[in-house]
Amino acid sequence: MSPSLKQTTEPDKVRLRIYRFDPAIDRAPRYDSYEVPHTPRMRIMDALDYVHETLAVDFGYRWLCGSKKCGTCAVNVNGSPKLACWEEAQPEMTIEPMDNMTVIRDLVTSRDPYEAFLAKLQPLVIRKREYSGFPEPLTEADVASAVHLRDCIQCLACQSVCPVLQQPDSGFAGPALLVALSELSQDPRDEGDRAKMAAKEAQVFKCVSCYECERVCPVEIPIVGEAIEPLKRLAYREKSTPGARRAGAFLDSVKKLGYVNPSEVALKTQGITWNGLRLAFRMALRGKIRLTDALFKRPSPGAETIKTTYDAGESR
Amino acid sequence: MKRTYAYFPGCSAKSTCSELDLSTHAVAALFDVSLIELENPGCTGAREFRAISEQLHLTANGRILALAERNGCDLVAVCDTCLLNLTETNRRLKEDSEARDAVNRALAAEGLVYRGAIEVKHFLWVLTEDLGEESLRARVVRPLRSLRAAPFYGCHIQRPKSIYGEDGEDAPALDRLINVLGGEVVRYAGASKCCGFHVVNVDQKIAVRMSGSHLGNAVAGGAQCVVTPCPLCHTVFDAYQPSMERQSRDPQATPILHVSQLVGLAIGLSTEALGLSRHVVGCADVLAHIGYSRDRTGALPQLPA
Repeated sequence: MSPSLKQTTEPDKVRLRIYRFDPAIDRAPRYDSYEVPHTPRMRIMDALDYVHETLAVDFGYRWLCGSKKCGTCAVNVNGSPKLACWEEAQPEMTIEPMDNMTVIRDLVTSRDPYEAFLAKLQPLVIRKREYSGFPEPLTEADVASAVHLRDCIQCLACQSVCPVLQQPDSGFAGPALLVALSELSQDPRDEGDRAKMAAKEAQVFKCVSCYECERVCPVEIPIVGEAIEPLKRLAYREKSTPGARRAGAFLDSVKKLGYVNPSEVALKTQGITWNGLRLAFRMALRGKIRLTDALFKRPSPGAETIKTTYDAGESR
Repeated sequence: MKRTYAYFPGCSAKSTCSELDLSTHAVAALFDVSLIELENPGCTGAREFRAISEQLHLTANGRILALAERNGCDLVAVCDTCLLNLTETNRRLKEDSEARDAVNRALAAEGLVYRGAIEVKHFLWVLTEDLGEESLRARVVRPLRSLRAAPFYGCHIQRPKSIYGEDGEDAPALDRLINVLGGEVVRYAGASKCCGFHVVNVDQKIAVRMSGSHLGNAVAGGAQCVVTPCPLCHTVFDAYQPSMERQSRDPQATPILHVSQLVGLAIGLSTEALGLSRHVVGCADVLAHIGYSRDRTGALPQLPA
């Protein structure tokens, strides 16, 4: 953790290194350094404002509400995404646009891919028939499971640190979109086919469960446990996707054997592939598996009992 | 002082990473740590049970906790993902009596009950916290001679922050351990990142790219090996390393060690006792660096009977 200004002797200056890049005129990004007078309880945004108003009028950054609501001011500060309007200025700050995004100018990144993807997920309550009364009754219990998801301010900090989104053409929606989709899927009024959207459009099973998104969420949404996993449970019904097949094969294996047989799970998820065969031979050569494992392994003596208990648990 | 723990090896240590189970037992024995292996414990469900049913997830993990509690001692895991599943479930069942009752109703048929009396820890923490650095250092007979080891923590031993706290990310247990054993910690971008294991069956390319970039960074930082407390990370880095090399066209052949193997080498256990031949990427360079072959001509410390 970097030292807080409050605890140390208050410095009279804040030193900033700011990423500057205008794709229309610059050949490459550069970093400009600025010194800004420190003021009591200074926020990151106050420092950016000073730079813009006093030192570099052409400097581009984005903000709207200044009070942790609009989600437009998130930037990377010393390598980690922060809401500029909400976090305290540090004595030394390297400020960059968030990762995983196209730079429009300086710290301003494009929200277009996010918004286009969101539109595909039909982010509104889908009703098949019109509701006769108004307003529709919605109790506290109806929204209880999704109550934290409603805190999302769409700052996209989570999208910027998601390692799957860092891979080209992953097809994965990313945490912020899954939060939006999950909220709708848990809305009792919604009749959209959210299971299919989660499985096919959002490809929820490509989440690696690394919890990087939760680490940076400024409003502390339990993204994996309360947004992504409920969606996986929905998408599990779409048995045609590899992720759902894997989950099913995994459970079947444990119920049959009393432990999981990774070879069988891989075979049932992917089918027979060159990559799979090469991997199996490589591992068999070192005694990690037997080539027959995918087809047969002996159940443990407790397999029956384990299955009975799991079935009892699952049905509750 | 003899320390006793209930031991849940998990599915990897019992199949694709059997060398982890082997080396954990070997190291524990030398430190007078008794590991009572649970009988027919089932599975923590990796990330799969929780993607099917929350009740199934709680029941499967509650069952393992109940089996451990019957032994009257804390539970030790050697896999990051098992550790998180068990730790999360343990906290939930301790705090939420309704959830605990539901799990106990499912467990009742086999005469099991979980009361919430035990803690869950990783074998890494047994070494660094329960035994402590001094007793580790006292046992080192074959110091690692500044072997440049890149720690790879894996996600589920440090995140989410709701379980491990804000500073989980900086938890330096493995760094400290490497130093105590006489190794040198390689600093690189990636030590606390994700290996991609949980999508490797779903989209191998994603996992291979993710871990390939971490491995590339570790090697660029001078790493002679990677050390991990998680067999799932181990599997990606070791068994899929040839795929990473095909993708990056950069042959690296970097040995990947389990924590227990690195400790075992430093405290003088044999390569057989540590299962070092069971890796896809061979460990000869590491052994040569620490002078293993010369040690063999002298007497190796024997495992206690």
